[in-house]
Amino acid sequence: MVERQNSVCFRTLHLDQPWRLDSYRSIGGYGQWERILQERPDPADLIEQLKLSALRGRGGAGFPTGLKWSFMLRSAPGQRYIVCNSDEGEPGTCKDRDILRYNPHQLIEGMAIAGYCIGATVGYNYIRGEFFEPTERFEAAVQEAYAAGLLGKDIGGSGIDFDLYVHNGAGAYICGEETALLESIEGKKGQPRYKPPFPAQSGLYGRPTTINNTESLASVPVILEKGGQWFLDQGLPNNGGLKVFSVTGHVEKPRNLEVPLGTPFRELLAQCGGVKGGKKLKAVIPGGSSTPVVPGDQMMELNMDYDSLAKAGSMLGSGAVIVMAEGTDMVKVLANLAHFYAAESCGQCTPCREGTGWLSRVLHRILKGQGRREDLDLLDDAANRIMGRTICALGDAAAMPVRSFLKHYRHEFERYIAQGERCVS
Amino acid sequence: MTQKVKIEIDGRTCEATPGEMIIAVADRAGIPIPRFCYHKKLSIAANCRMCLVEAEQGGRPFPKLVPACATPVMEGMRVQTRSALAREAQQSTLEFLLINHPLDCPICDQGGECELQDLTLRYGKDKSRYAEAKRVVKDENLGPLIATEMTRCIHCTRCVRFGAEIAGLRELGATGRGDHMRIGTYVEQTLGHELSGNIIDLCPVGALTAKPSRFRARPWELIQVDGIAPHDGLGSHLHLHVRGRQLVRVHPRAQEAINETWISDRDRFSYTGLSAPDRLGEPMIKREGGCWQALEWQGALQIAAERIREAGSELGALIAPNATLEEMYLLQRLVRGLGAQAIDSRLRQQDFRGDAADASLPWLGVSIAKVEEQEGILLIGSDIRQEQPLLAHRVRKAALAGGLVATVNPYRLDLTFPAIQFTASPSGMLRELAALAKALRKRGSGTLRTLISEVKPTAQQVEVAEQLKQAGKRYRGLILLGALATAHPDYSLLRALAHLIADATRAKVGFLPAAANSFGAYLAGALPHRLPGARPAETPGLSAEAMLNKPRKVYLLWGLEPGFDLADPAKAVQGLDRADFVIACTGYRSPALERVADLLLPIALFAETSGTLVNAQLDWQSFRGAIPPPVEARPGWKVLRVLGNLLELEGFDYRSSEEVLEELRKQCAHAKPNNDPRGDLKKLPPRLSNGDRLYRIGNVPIYALDALVRRAEPLQANAEFLQVSLNPDQAAEMGLGAGDQVEIDQGEGKLAKAPVRLDPRIPRGCARIPAGLSGSEQLGPQIGPVSLEKR
Amino acid sequence: MLQALREYFQSLLLIELFRGLGVTGRYLFRTKFTVQYPEEKAPLSPRFRGLHALRRYPNGEERCIACKLCEATCPALAITIEAAPRADGSRRTTRYEIDLFKCIFCGFCEESCPVDSIVETSVYEYHFERRGENILTKEKLLALGDQYEAEIAAARAADAPYR
Repeated sequence: MVERQNSVCFRTLHLDQPWRLDSYRSIGGYGQWERILQERPDPADLIEQLKLSALRGRGGAGFPTGLKWSFMLRSAPGQRYIVCNSDEGEPGTCKDRDILRYNPHQLIEGMAIAGYCIGATVGYNYIRGEFFEPTERFEAAVQEAYAAGLLGKDIGGSGIDFDLYVHNGAGAYICGEETALLESIEGKKGQPRYKPPFPAQSGLYGRPTTINNTESLASVPVILEKGGQWFLDQGLPNNGGLKVFSVTGHVEKPRNLEVPLGTPFRELLAQCGGVKGGKKLKAVIPGGSSTPVVPGDQMMELNMDYDSLAKAGSMLGSGAVIVMAEGTDMVKVLANLAHFYAAESCGQCTPCREGTGWLSRVLHRILKGQGRREDLDLLDDAANRIMGRTICALGDAAAMPVRSFLKHYRHEFERYIAQGERCVS
Repeated sequence: MTQKVKIEIDGRTCEATPGEMIIAVADRAGIPIPRFCYHKKLSIAANCRMCLVEAEQGGRPFPKLVPACATPVMEGMRVQTRSALAREAQQSTLEFLLINHPLDCPICDQGGECELQDLTLRYGKDKSRYAEAKRVVKDENLGPLIATEMTRCIHCTRCVRFGAEIAGLRELGATGRGDHMRIGTYVEQTLGHELSGNIIDLCPVGALTAKPSRFRARPWELIQVDGIAPHDGLGSHLHLHVRGRQLVRVHPRAQEAINETWISDRDRFSYTGLSAPDRLGEPMIKREGGCWQALEWQGALQIAAERIREAGSELGALIAPNATLEEMYLLQRLVRGLGAQAIDSRLRQQDFRGDAADASLPWLGVSIAKVEEQEGILLIGSDIRQEQPLLAHRVRKAALAGGLVATVNPYRLDLTFPAIQFTASPSGMLRELAALAKALRKRGSGTLRTLISEVKPTAQQVEVAEQLKQAGKRYRGLILLGALATAHPDYSLLRALAHLIADATRAKVGFLPAAANSFGAYLAGALPHRLPGARPAETPGLSAEAMLNKPRKVYLLWGLEPGFDLADPAKAVQGLDRADFVIACTGYRSPALERVADLLLPIALFAETSGTLVNAQLDWQSFRGAIPPPVEARPGWKVLRVLGNLLELEGFDYRSSEEVLEELRKQCAHAKPNNDPRGDLKKLPPRLSNGDRLYRIGNVPIYALDALVRRAEPLQANAEFLQVSLNPDQAAEMGLGAGDQVEIDQGEGKLAKAPVRLDPRIPRGCARIPAGLSGSEQLGPQIGPVSLEKR
Repeated sequence: MLQALREYFQSLLLIELFRGLGVTGRYLFRTKFTVQYPEEKAPLSPRFRGLHALRRYPNGEERCIACKLCEATCPALAITIEAAPRADGSRRTTRYEIDLFKCIFCGFCEESCPVDSIVETSVYEYHFERRGENILTKEKLLALGDQYEAEIAAARAADAPYR
């Protein structure tokens, strides 16, 4: 499996200055885009390849990309948009950053192909506000692509238009939610929209829009080059291809790793040098902070793919694997996460606006040694009352860790409450 | 007719239009669904999460609870609003809302009529599980009308959406994330929009409340009386809230055909003028040396009757166009009964040359609700947002729906919707209209022919003319003449041009009433050329202008202030000065009135008297008195009835205002709205020349319309004051700069001083010097030549 | 028969008389419970409902916030309140009057008060000499509150555990 590593989004990593246009060209980059420009194949065939590849959205929700594209009615008149979501804010995730840094051209190619498939002549890449270097790299790459005649109006006389714009966020986690991202591009307060209507009907500036994650779009050129079947074969049925995992936390070598879906967690951990200091594995958050935590023992038996993690009651999410060794204070971890969600709730829906703050305040009170016995039931109940009651998934994202931490590590919270001040000192 | 679908809510089958939201269907069926952010006139936000319900479609339940306000109905949908799951969600939302709500109901003005309070009674628990610190938010200073207590805000964003969608001016917005989110103006500023008071009603909690009535009364102490707004031509429906003998506040009464669910700030807060310090409480007479003495009604009325009898046909009566129909009718009966013909209510009109061709019974041309369906609207001489705030909202809807709105005005308007504005000096307005007529290939006759022959339409004028024509073809064209047109020295020509354009485009001509009962005057006969029932008088009497030029022995002024309510105050005061005796029936005593009047009779104002007002679409809207008039003041119709008896006129024995109304109604049975010109205009030379004289544009600002509004303190707090607005280029040529004090001279020897303001919206050759403002009572005609001198 | 015989002997021997005298004798030596008002006064419950008073906070600020709940709840319509913003913007009464001729001393005003402002003190000895004295104005009520604050506070504290 090692030889299959880094063969999709990170396939330029071995090169010197992999972000340059010629580096990307040297491994056959832009081949697919140029083929499209010359042959103008039927977009439906391209979407068919994607459907075959079983590529699922890499941003966290895991929605099949090919299916998403097929929602865009090519026949409908008027402007359409393709938007790339590079607002990578999920705690623990840093894969899109490295794609922007080391392989920006593959993303550009992916966006251009996506634009062709859905009939969009304009693309936006919404890059997280804190990504200074990646933004520069990506912007430089866009300039290179324009200079090389790969973007613009009537590209190479093909009659195909595609313009690409970079939009920087201003540091709001919620703008990673696709409709809040659209609001932000439009210059409004980043708040998710109520769905329906879905962006495919009414998105950016009220026009049909498709929004995809950076990694999903960057995978597209490889899928078209090697075929949907090849991509599917790399992973498991319904879990096609390779996925970048950002392994962080208590490991010897935290890193981004692109491995086939279905790779056992044990192997992933080994590649990162095992748990830091040889300690025992306590817990893993397998898909970014919003996904439920999985105890270490259980995790060691699991494979990294959408279906097996779902079976274990968690989610693959964005692929941010947060490893926690023995001795980690789970109360502190949860209080930290709860604070994050309280600060990042957009403030629109009542349960999330008020509930996340409540959870955070109760947890910090417990942390200060002022917890009460009834607090744990209160936390679980309040989290339960947020779940599924909000416009976007941030409410769920805030509630799920609370519920899973309480499920697996209730005794630690009880100890804090029982020992009061002593536990803090 | 669209297909109806059947859905089931709580086991009840309801019929609905596809695409309708569940909550709207439930509301119609009387099934209560709790909500905060939903409002039928605003866009759907679905952010409060209070209206979550359980729903299933074709036997398959929705995976999550759905918000009833944002879920469109489909055939066969089944909704449960009170299932255990739905109730649990509603209770949860309420608990979340309350954790940061201060629960200061005892000091909250909303207490007792608060949506949060009501729903807490239904869904709340006795005890809170929340034991952490509560949020505190700094208050916003939104000006003299709206009090804030932002800690109480539940972030439903109704006020924000109102600003964006209804007012067309985003004055409020949300800033901050999570529970730091707050509603505010971002940079502290006063809400200036003329409809902003509506956010008080929209706010479901006590975060936004009315400042003038702050802490004055509890909802349960108030008696609600229906009322009609006495200012603009809509006659918005009101709820008057009375505590004891006091009118405490005014709320809108929903009336889809007129004011929907809104009212303008002018209608909402003008009641504060009822208790102004200069309110007249008892009859007063001017004694030797100009000192005033109070006297009994009996004596006062006897003096009045004596003087009126002496005057006989030499009596002149001016009545404010916001007087009730009953007052107008009785006054004209009294005047005509004495053989006099001089009665008029068109106080701000200068040009009466077209009276012979005047429409028999003018009206808006279309119903108020239909204004929003027009595809082409031409507004001539109307600062519509200031004159008719809620009609402006209808015009805005028409514009946002893609309709053309074009304006011809003596200054550029601040509009909240896209419009093509032709801005020209008063004489230029004629040329702009003539150009439009020419673009429509109309030649006209008489003076119009000359006017049209002299102009050459621009490309934009051709385009507008073409679009109006297209709209007219679909019967969706409307040409409206507003207050600035009425005050124009060449109003007759403007009107004739409007008819000409209408003729060419098949658009309808409509008139915007200057005040609440301007059209009622046609029905009541309170005009020199109209008898009751809008019948033309065989020999027209003296118009307002004529009777002031040709002084009468005795004047009867009804509800007006000569310095503010007349087109040419300087000339009016001269005319009144030359009379033997001036009787003023008024609500207030003001220095200007005391100067010209000899006898003041206190009459009841808005909310204090019963009566009827006729609005722009000619609805007769009757109302009852809600509070007693102050001290000795009496309803006007009663004063006139006694006067009629004292003058021994026939049939003045009415026992109620309804009897008066009934009598008039019989005479109006055949009165039909008709805007058509009644005859061709004779050759009328334009009064305004193209010369390079400076012209005054004396618009009446929104809060200077009538005596009541001028005394409404909260409205006056940020209202316009007398300034001379000049185009910056013009000012530079005249050697004037912003803030310079200038002396305004309109040739009557009377001067007024005011500071200069530079405003690029004013065309060259014009100075905008408003009427109706303190300081303007010395000035001449609202629109007319003026010269300025730097002091 | 036997019954009649027993009754006969009982009355002959004056047994009933002595039994009655026994009761009298017993009370002759017991502690007396007649109170010699006004020299002596009967004990009062902390819940006693006497003359009304308006209380202040320890810093001298009046408690009443003009919520008008007492006015609304008063079954005898004895309370009249007018409110307006004070110069500092806070909600205050400009008029607070209780008509003691109407008042039925039910204590609802006290119960409804969210800030423990209107209270009924244990004062029950008062009289009116002139027309109009039956109206307790805001000034009078506040003065009563100031005068009896210690007592009122003590009564509240004593009753607190049962509320």
